[in-house]
Amino acid sequence: MSSLYTFLNTNSLYVVLLVVLVIWVGIFAYLFRLDKKVTRLYEKSEREKENVK
Amino acid sequence: MKTWMKIVIGIWITAVIAIGLAMPIGYIPGLGAKARIIYFHVPMSWLSVLAFFMSMWYGIGYLRKKDMKYDIKSATAAELGFVFSILATITGSIWAKFSWGSFWNWDPRETSIFVLLLIYGAYFALRSALEIEERRASLSAVYSVVAFVTVPFFVFIMPRIMFSLHPGGGGSPAPILNSSGKMYMEASMRYVFYASLIGFTGLYLWLFQIRAKIGLLNYNSLLENE
Amino acid sequence: MFMKAAAAILSKDFYSELRTRYALNSLIMFVVVTLSIILFSTAGEAVSPSLSAGILWIIIFFAAMSGLSRCFVSEEERGTAMTLQLWVKPSSVLLGKLAFNSLLIYVLNAMIIAAYLVTMPSFVVKAPLVFILTILIGSFGLASASTFIAAIISKANSKGTLYPVLSFPILLPLLVSVIDATRLSVEGGSLAEAMGDFKIMFSYSVVVTTVAIVLFDFVWRD
Repeated sequence: MSSLYTFLNTNSLYVVLLVVLVIWVGIFAYLFRLDKKVTRLYEKSEREKENVK
Repeated sequence: MKTWMKIVIGIWITAVIAIGLAMPIGYIPGLGAKARIIYFHVPMSWLSVLAFFMSMWYGIGYLRKKDMKYDIKSATAAELGFVFSILATITGSIWAKFSWGSFWNWDPRETSIFVLLLIYGAYFALRSALEIEERRASLSAVYSVVAFVTVPFFVFIMPRIMFSLHPGGGGSPAPILNSSGKMYMEASMRYVFYASLIGFTGLYLWLFQIRAKIGLLNYNSLLENE
Repeated sequence: MFMKAAAAILSKDFYSELRTRYALNSLIMFVVVTLSIILFSTAGEAVSPSLSAGILWIIIFFAAMSGLSRCFVSEEERGTAMTLQLWVKPSSVLLGKLAFNSLLIYVLNAMIIAAYLVTMPSFVVKAPLVFILTILIGSFGLASASTFIAAIISKANSKGTLYPVLSFPILLPLLVSVIDATRLSVEGGSLAEAMGDFKIMFSYSVVVTTVAIVLFDFVWRD
């Protein structure tokens, strides 16, 4: 652990890389969840439209 | 889009970010480490053009089939294109400040993205001024076709009027793309660049699907209320 | 039959314009006001020839934006659009309106340029042929694009503000090359130098007119 710390301490680019990656993974996970929810709603709405017909 | 494809997009872009920022890129005259912007800025402007094209494509689809689903998709593409062209403008502007010394100086590339922003703005202004759905769909489709037909004239005009400092233009040392479209990029950099284009295109298509579903949901709920 | 209908639309618009002189009177006042604002703000300043070429097209652009939308908007306002839809083929309507608007903008530009040449001392045309060709082709391109946009906005709310917003990005390629050719004519450039601009203007006009004729059905009949 301390060796990783010294590595990041001397190569500041990788700190930025880590930050950007964490942000991207967070946004991606959120988008994934959002997609699931919207798809469920959409399919429900399409089924209801079929039933009305 | 299948679930595994979405996960692939996630991992793919993660890899592009990691390699793009960390991979050594060698010496590039005049740009240095700032050349890494190509992995993130160029995909944004590519997506804004792709979305513009898709908006016109679905617009024509509406004019042919008169199906509201096409109009919803056309508007969705325009909305995403607007977002990506704003991102391309901001990232390009930040880069220009540190490479050319000012945030905005009407370089041909800056002018073209500005025109693209104007067209998206005009498209949404037109949509909000039309209340009848069918009329909104057909008129905005017609407008996007007219805009798509006139914009390419800039390709012929720009070299006559101005000279470009943008990498790839005539007036700059051309480390990455020169005016004849030849690549002067190292092979390793080129692969990451292509990978980035593919990854962000995938992300765009995914976002497009989500947004289109929301638009269709909205349309279905309007139908139910009638 | 087809051209006859277009000619009938042209003469209808022409006579109703002659009777009221609505468009021309207000446009002349618009030009006078714009020109005097420019003259006041540049009074005593040395305006470079290339800048004066740009200012000329600013006047022409905004005059066109305030005048050319009338042709379709007035049909919608008076409720006569429906009658036209019933009796005349859409492409004849477009051609008739385009002919009227081209005529209007040629008359208007002749007046703007005459007034501009008199009042703007730094605007001296050294290559008349280049200048005349620029005005002839450029005005037609301006008329063809703005007539079609006028047809689109006549169906929308808030027509007045929407018109320049929609037209500007469409007209920008034409305006840039027209301003460049005018600058060349003021600086005494040769015909060969301006050839590139003429090609752009001409092909722009042809492309926009063709697209307008193809797509006009969708705008007109809905």
